Order: sequence, then structure tokens, then C-alpha cells
Amino acid sequence: MHHYVKKALYFGVPTLSLCLAALTLQAGEPSLIKVGFNGDIRSTEPGVNRDENSDAFIMHIVEGLVAYREDASVGPMLAKDVTISDDGLTYTFTLREGVKFQNGKPLTAEDVKWTWQHYLDPKTQWRCLPEFDGRGVSKILDISVPEPLKVVFRIDKPNGVLLATMSRPDCGGSGIVHPDSVAADGTWIAPIGTGPFTLGQWKQGQYVELNRFKDYTPRAEAKPDGFTGNKQAFVDRVRFVVIPDAASAKAALLSGGVDVLPDVTAMDEAELKNVPGMQVRTSPVMTLGGLLFQTRDPLLGDVRIRRAVALSLDYSQMVATLSNGLSTVNNSIIPTTSAYYDATAHTGYPYDLDEARRLLKAAGYHGQPIKLIVNKRYPQMFDMGVLSQAMLQAVGVNIVLETLEWGAQLERYQSGNFQMMAFSYSPRFDAALSYESVTGNKDKEPRKVWDNPKALVLLREAQSESVAPKRQALFDQLHTLMLADVPMVMIYNGTSIGVVKAGIEGYRSWPISKPRLWGVSLAATSK
Amino acid sequence: MFRFILHRLGMAVPTLLLISVMVFALIRFIPGDPALLMLGDMADAQSLAQMRSSLGLDHSVVTQYLIWIKSVLSGDLGFSISTRQAVLPLLLERFSVSATIVLVAVALATLIAVPVGLFAAWKQNSAMDLGLVAGATLLLSIPSFWLGLLLLYAFGIKLGWLPVVGYVMFADDPLKAITYLVLPIVTLTLVEFGAIARMARASTIEVLRLDYIAHARAKGLSEGAVLWRHALRNAFAPTWTLVGLILGNLLGGIAVLETVFTLPGVGRLMVDSIFARDYPVLQGCLLLITCIYVLVNLCVDLLYPLFDPRVKL
Repeated sequence: MHHYVKKALYFGVPTLSLCLAALTLQAGEPSLIKVGFNGDIRSTEPGVNRDENSDAFIMHIVEGLVAYREDASVGPMLAKDVTISDDGLTYTFTLREGVKFQNGKPLTAEDVKWTWQHYLDPKTQWRCLPEFDGRGVSKILDISVPEPLKVVFRIDKPNGVLLATMSRPDCGGSGIVHPDSVAADGTWIAPIGTGPFTLGQWKQGQYVELNRFKDYTPRAEAKPDGFTGNKQAFVDRVRFVVIPDAASAKAALLSGGVDVLPDVTAMDEAELKNVPGMQVRTSPVMTLGGLLFQTRDPLLGDVRIRRAVALSLDYSQMVATLSNGLSTVNNSIIPTTSAYYDATAHTGYPYDLDEARRLLKAAGYHGQPIKLIVNKRYPQMFDMGVLSQAMLQAVGVNIVLETLEWGAQLERYQSGNFQMMAFSYSPRFDAALSYESVTGNKDKEPRKVWDNPKALVLLREAQSESVAPKRQALFDQLHTLMLADVPMVMIYNGTSIGVVKAGIEGYRSWPISKPRLWGVSLAATSK
Repeated sequence: MFRFILHRLGMAVPTLLLISVMVFALIRFIPGDPALLMLGDMADAQSLAQMRSSLGLDHSVVTQYLIWIKSVLSGDLGFSISTRQAVLPLLLERFSVSATIVLVAVALATLIAVPVGLFAAWKQNSAMDLGLVAGATLLLSIPSFWLGLLLLYAFGIKLGWLPVVGYVMFADDPLKAITYLVLPIVTLTLVEFGAIARMARASTIEVLRLDYIAHARAKGLSEGAVLWRHALRNAFAPTWTLVGLILGNLLGGIAVLETVFTLPGVGRLMVDSIFARDYPVLQGCLLLITCIYVLVNLCVDLLYPLFDPRVKL
């Protein structure tokens, strides 16, 4: 007996000590992942005073009823299931049981109703209010709570993009927050959501942190799936470090100042993929890059000239140059990653210089200058303009580049005051939303490039329709019509390129491009 | 001297008022709408109008100016359009970062460059002089961002001695703060060293040609005494003017270095506010820079008699 006690002490004490030391070390040094951000966040309020970085950040703290999956389709998040009435006017969301807010209180349907009332109050200045107050496809008439975990939305018109719009990151994913997030006078305090991370320290201009929400209730799926699925956090803290300069960001990655750069250029990708200890993660994204025409311009009002431009561009060469070979040509406004990108959408403009010259001659074009607006904030737009100018010279189209600061270009876009413009639309995750961004009445919305009544009718049908095959047929018609009208030349969708240091596991780029730090672990802590 | 100070400060009031009008008007002449930049390419007309109204941009420019100047006179520079932060504390916080780097770097550059310039002038046309002039010219010619990136690469990435990005407040952790400040301070010191050394050398050469220096040498004074006691004081006056100009210029923000080293200084704040058309922050930054110029020039003028006995205030 004495011998066994001695043996147990001999082996047990050191083992126990090691375990305790490991635990102490783990407790003393919380795991941290540092992610490079090219700018600070603007606020912590979902969908209010936001930008790309603010959206990416807040999506770690709040969750909506539904969310985008990895393939940009919409799936339930806080909702267990969603049922839509036959007339398409009533949406019933059944909430998951056991979900807790970050202040420990349980999620109820009343919280959902309160959050939505908060968003629908014009005083909140929620970015996506126009999509739900009748200015968009439909208006939310009523939100009711028949049961503690059931919430019912009634709308005035069928809306095929309601769930997709609710899920938009720029709307903060319509994230549900606890009423304690807002002060009694209606001012925003801080987000108390249901997401896998809570708000940490924010040193403005330097960094903003997330802390792991220990009582997070993940969905039952085995893995994360876009903004939904199992979103369990594996690290204690995530710090988004503000590094505006791309060269400094790269230096930070190489020196260990950051562990993840979610968005690097194609040129940096070519360099970093050869650096030992770096892993590159790429994914096609849903940005829409191309050339816009002002169809009311005396010159470009002639569809033959617009078509000649479209036929004169060597898209394969252009896209290979713009993306360092990472992206593919896409002449459709529907992104290649969309479920609605089919064989019809794949049809594009042929490279036909003879036909282009014939069209220009028929239109009476004889080298009049055409101003093409570009900017240097987004190098891909500038390069797109320069390459287009060079390629169009081959058929005698005289493109004059006008380089503007981004803010000035955006103003010209909004007012429709341009002849041609190299432009990149932010991602739209539903094909109808993509068409909506370019189609409209120019008298009311000068920024819209495609003012075709037939297209508008087709678009309205696609926006109201929920049945996928019927929507597909409408999108196919729209694409064919757009190729004929040439109000713009879509060239490609971008590629999201993330670079992570070896030892970071589970980080992936995806079509929605935003970084996601749930499901990501450090090699040491994940084992 | 007190009257001189009062007179100079009195003169600054109309300057600041004029600058405030110019700044306010010029910013609004820049194409680009802050509301549009906030809403992006999805903005519809009604949302845009609502956003403009909430930011107070729907008033006439004159009304906006009057509202702003009234607030400024009561010590309130307004709120940032982008982050909704109060502008004055934001400016002071960011200015402390820029000022720490600039004051230390310019002091170091002056302390090193003046003796070097003096020595080069003393050894004029020697190999040592040529080497020093070439070195100073080289440092003057290197763009600060490039030098910064080279130092980042060498000491941050290759040697791993210093952190590459980030900033720690001195009050939070002095030792750590120093490690973050070393590279920007060294970069700025090297860049400014070139200009100050060349000026110190040129003005010393001028002074060394004067009769009183020949007289001092004829009296049998040592070269050290001639240089330090007689040449330096007179030669330093023009260099001091240059140091004042450099200080005024740099205290207004070292945007490029702040961007390269990711420092939350006033220069980066100004650049960010230009891109975001954050009018209140931009106006605050420009007003701050104007005040700094006025104060630095006043300080330089007040200290001038210390170096040049011919100057009386």
C-alpha cells in the first residue's frame, strides 16, 4: 500500500503540477488573434453610421433571424425555421430555444419585436429602413408575437428578397439586440447581441477588440456556414488593428504584428504565397466591376457606340491583368457565385473588332473624345479605365481619362453626371438586388444606368417572386435584354484574398468577403 | 516683451477669423458629399436628404458657418460626422501623439545637426565636409515614407527588435510606448537632420568669413573658442528660424509617417477626414494647425534675442 502511495506521488505530483501550470498559463494568457483592418470602425450600432469594417465587426456581436450561408443563399440563424404564407404576405419566424443575450437574459420574440420597432423608427437612422417602410419592394405592416418564441411579420406586397435584405451585412444583418443596448432617451449605448463575441475595448484610431461570449448558444450544425451555422468562438479575444497603409499591413503580417490580413491585393498575394509560414485563402466575391455608360449622353445615347465599346474589350486579358489571374470574366450583373448564375448568364460579349468598327461607322462616330471617370482610391477601377482606354484605341474610340477623388466620383455617379465611368458596386447577394442597383427611372434616380421600362417590369416580377425556377427565367430574360441594351459593361467579380499565418486554423475567405473569426483557432489552443 | 506678445496675439485674431472663413468655404468647394460617402452606392434620394438633414448640411453655407463659429467661440468644435465623437478632445488626443514624435525628433535632429553643420563648416571643402554634406543631402532627398518602410523592414521584420504596427500611450506603459515610438522618431530625425545640418553649415560658413571672427583668431583664441563662443551663437539664428518653420510644419501633422507606422496622430486624422468629408474634424484640424503656426512663430520670435543680440523685441 505504502509502495503504491509512493508511486502515485512520484508520477502524480509532477503530472498534476504540469496540468496546473498549463491551466495557469492558459488562464493567465488568453488566446488572441490580431486581424488587420484598413480603417477604424465608425460605430458599434448595427446598420447605423457604418462602413465595410463596421459591418464586418458588428456581425461578430449580433445575429439576425436569418443570415447568409457560405454560398450566399439565406438560411435561418436565430430562427429555428421560417414559414411564408401562400400569398407571400406573412412571414412566421420560430425562434431557437435557449439562446441568450450577452447580458445573460434569454432571447424572446418580444426582443425581436422591440429590435425591429427600433430599426423601423426613422430616428434610429437605420440604413435599411427604405427597404422595409414602403420605399422598397414592400412595407412591413405589422410585427406580432403570438407565442413567446414566435414572431410574425406582415407585409403589404409579396417580396422575394425580404429575407435576403434582412440578412444584408450593411443592415447589420438586422441583428437582434437586447433593449438595454439603448438608453431611455433612445441613444445608443453598446450592442448586447446574441453573437459569439462581445464588444471589447475600442481604442479609436488604433484597434477594437472582441471578447469571447462564454455562454454562447451555437446552432446544431457541425460547422460554421457563412454568417450562420455553428458559430462557436475558439479564441478568447480578437483584436482588429487599424493599419491604413497596405505596405505597413504587409510588414505587420510578416513581423507578427497581425495574424490575419483579410483583404490583400492580387500583387501582394503573389508575393506572400511564397513566404514560408503564410497561407493564402481566396474566394470569388460578389462585387460588380465594370464600365458604366450615361445612356442620355448625346454620343453614348446611341446603342451602336455602346455595343462597339463592349465588343472591343478583350475581357480575358483584362481580367487576367486586373486580378493577377485569380478572377474570371463575367459580363452578367449576376455574380458567378450566385445560385442564379446559369448558362444564360454566362453568355457575354464576343471580342469582335471588325463588328465594333462597323457599328462605330454606322453610328457616325469619328473620334469624338469620350470622358471616362476613374479614381485612384480603388486601384482596380483605375486599372480598368486604363486598360479600356488602351483596348478601345484599337477601334478608334478616343477615351479621355478623368481621374477624380473617390468622393467626387461618387457624387458624379449619384447625379448621373458622366459619360463613362469605371465603377465597382458593393456586393449584392441576391440577383434581384444586383439588377435593382442598376435599373430604374433616371428622372427619379439619376444614378441608375439602365432605364428600360421592360426591364423594370421584369425586375418588379423578380423582386416579388419567391419560386426559384420562375425567378431564374426572369433573370435570364433580364440578362439577354441587358446585353442588347448595353447600359453598362460588366467585366468581372472580384476575388477576396486573405492571408493568414501558419498556426491559425479554420479561417476562410468567402463570397461575402467579410472576415469571420468564429470557428477560428490558434493551433495550440485548438488541440 | 509683454506688449510684443499681446500685439502678436492680437494680430492672430483676424488671421484666425480669416482662416476660419477660408477653411469653411474651401472645404465645401471640394466635390463630394459626406452624406453620400456614408450611404455609398445604394443611397436613394430620400435617404440622402434625411442624412443631409441629420448632419445639418441642408442649411445654407452661411448659416452653417455662423452656427459653427458660434460654437467655436464657446470652445465647442462640434462632433465628427463619421464617428460622432466630440472634435476638441479627439484633436487634443491625436495632437499629443504627433507632438510627442515631432518635438523629440526635431530636438534630436537639432542637437545632432547643429554641431555637425558647425564642424563641416570649420572643415569646409575637406573630405569630411564633402562626406557630411553628401550624407545630409542624401537624407534630405529620401522620401520619409520610404525611409520609414526601410527601417520597418530592417528593425521590425528582419531583426524583429521593434514592433511594426500599433501605438501605446506613454501613460499606459512608458517602456512599451518607447518601443513603438523609436522607429517614427528615428525616421523623422534622419529626415530633418539633413535640412538642419545644411542650414547650420551654410550659416556658419557665412559667419566664419566675417571680420570679427578673423579678429578673434588674431587675438589668439583657440579654434574651439572661436567656433563655440563666437561663431555658433550668430550662426544659429537662421538655423533657429528653420527649426521654427520645421516645427510649425510638422506639428500640423506628419500624415505620411503616421500612416506608415499606423500612429493615431493629427495628420492621419486630417487625411481620413478629407476622404470622409468629415467637415467638423477637418475644420478643427486646420484651425489647430493655424494656431500652432501662430504660436510656434511667436515662440521663435521670442527666443530670437537669445541667439542674436542684435535683435530687440
